[in-house]
Amino acid sequence: MADSAMTADHDHALEQSTEELWSGGQEPVKASYGKLMMWYFLISDTFTFAGFLIAYAAIRFAHPAHSAGEWNSWPDPNQVFAATPVTGHANLPLIFVTFMTFTLILSSVTMVRAVQEGTRMNRKGVMFWMVWTIIGGLVFVGSQAWEWQHLIHEGMTPTGNPFGAAAFGALFFIITGFHGAHVSIGVVINSIVLFQTWIGTYDRRGHYEMVEKIGLYWHFVDLVWVYVFMAFYLL
Amino acid sequence: MATGITYEESIKRVYRVCGILAIVTAVEIIAALSHYSWLGLSEETKIAAKLPLNVLFIVLSAAKAYYIMSEFMHLRYELKPLTISVMAPFLFLIWAIIAFSYEGVSWLQLRTWFG
Repeated sequence: MADSAMTADHDHALEQSTEELWSGGQEPVKASYGKLMMWYFLISDTFTFAGFLIAYAAIRFAHPAHSAGEWNSWPDPNQVFAATPVTGHANLPLIFVTFMTFTLILSSVTMVRAVQEGTRMNRKGVMFWMVWTIIGGLVFVGSQAWEWQHLIHEGMTPTGNPFGAAAFGALFFIITGFHGAHVSIGVVINSIVLFQTWIGTYDRRGHYEMVEKIGLYWHFVDLVWVYVFMAFYLL
Repeated sequence: MATGITYEESIKRVYRVCGILAIVTAVEIIAALSHYSWLGLSEETKIAAKLPLNVLFIVLSAAKAYYIMSEFMHLRYELKPLTISVMAPFLFLIWAIIAFSYEGVSWLQLRTWFG
């Protein structure tokens, strides 16, 4: 076939022809099965959240823009999200969610450091950075839980809220709920990986690729938050 | 770790991206708060500013996504076929976002005209 003839001419330049590379028994993109499967899972999960956020866009466009007193207008984020756990009744729009966003970004940074220490087979280094990643995740989930109980206390439910259109509550709780569940599961798996690191499983295995794979998941969770944050709090 | 890059250089790149993400987030928050009433802007200014502000938010969030994916998730250092396999499916979302946004606007118009 024409393809084989052409690649045969280039064999002195490539170690293998394209056909040989993709004929099985090796890694064509130099990524293990586990890493590829994590990437494919993340792509599918991206479509889950994209579906939710696109539904949010469609429903939000179907409501008039915010105006005080108009029962069906879309709530103003600066009014809905104006409380923090420590300042009582002070009106501080978007400050608490800024704290939450920085927490998750920093936990992503500590996660990358853990992966970097893993490539050097530095068990103690991996443990140090994983502990901070887990703490960041717990602070984020705790903050999200506080936000939920505060809004529920103000009267927001999946079927109504005092700020405007009823659909806002349903979309907020479902989307942040799915994201919070992903973060929680990530914290659990991070803890398992931390434990495995501690008892030396990855030293025995000869590589810390599990840290890298759960790192990909953790960055995905951070990425989703970037877009949830944009949709609900900024736009 | 990517080949050809020292340990110290890898750490520097991570903290550089961390700084970029922090600054971009701060800019987004300040821009969002500038729309808030206690800044004393007139109603017309605020309504007129909403569209360019929204475009800014979308562009900045896309920039954050680019930095997280390329550096933190290591996509910049992977082989091309893997990078393309990951990025190509997102092209389907472009039309989905446009189509459903128009759909939502159409629902508002139908509700307004027909109650």
